[in-house]
Amino acid sequence: MSNKVAIIAANGGLFDAYKVYNLATAAAAGGSEVAIFFTFEGLQLIHKDGHKQLPMPEGAEQMQEGFQKANVPGIDELVTTAQELGVKFIGCQMTMDVMGLEKEDFVDGVEVGGAASFLDFANDANTTLTF
Amino acid sequence: MESTKILDAKGLACPMPVVKVKKEMDQLNEGEILEVHVTDKGAKADLPAWAKSSGNELLQDAEEDGILKFWFKKA
Repeated sequence: MSNKVAIIAANGGLFDAYKVYNLATAAAAGGSEVAIFFTFEGLQLIHKDGHKQLPMPEGAEQMQEGFQKANVPGIDELVTTAQELGVKFIGCQMTMDVMGLEKEDFVDGVEVGGAASFLDFANDANTTLTF
Repeated sequence: MESTKILDAKGLACPMPVVKVKKEMDQLNEGEILEVHVTDKGAKADLPAWAKSSGNELLQDAEEDGILKFWFKKA
């Protein structure tokens, strides 16, 4: 199994986080090598505190109950699971600078890099996804 | 069917059934069989797809009283 999946996470809402982490963990569980490039508001998805309180889209608050009823895992659990499965997290240096974020603001295990770092990984990826 | 281990993943939602199955399979030796019980309806399509991408073999599946059962052979 030498599949590679490259994901760009550029948005910081709860739904964005589920799309990114569900696909990343499912791909890694299936034996793929996975890297996620977090940029702009997507950096919230790896922010130490931020990832635990991501906002629901406006008007979707009533879905909170649905999430609980369906026993959907929390984002913090998905972050841990993704890392256990070897998913690589890359924080975008340029947007970190713009937003005043340091590596220490993120969960452990985040690498920091630029566009070229992600492209180096994505160059021979079988699948590239953007959220 | 003779199962080496049974994984109870009932009540878990996507993507956790697939994640749990992967972790359990990592503990087994080649040729051993993992039996999986789930209630997530999405797993009906997802677990066979996982088997395909991970290279493990889906031997059999069944549905009993709303519980989906799968048997995987470790590759």
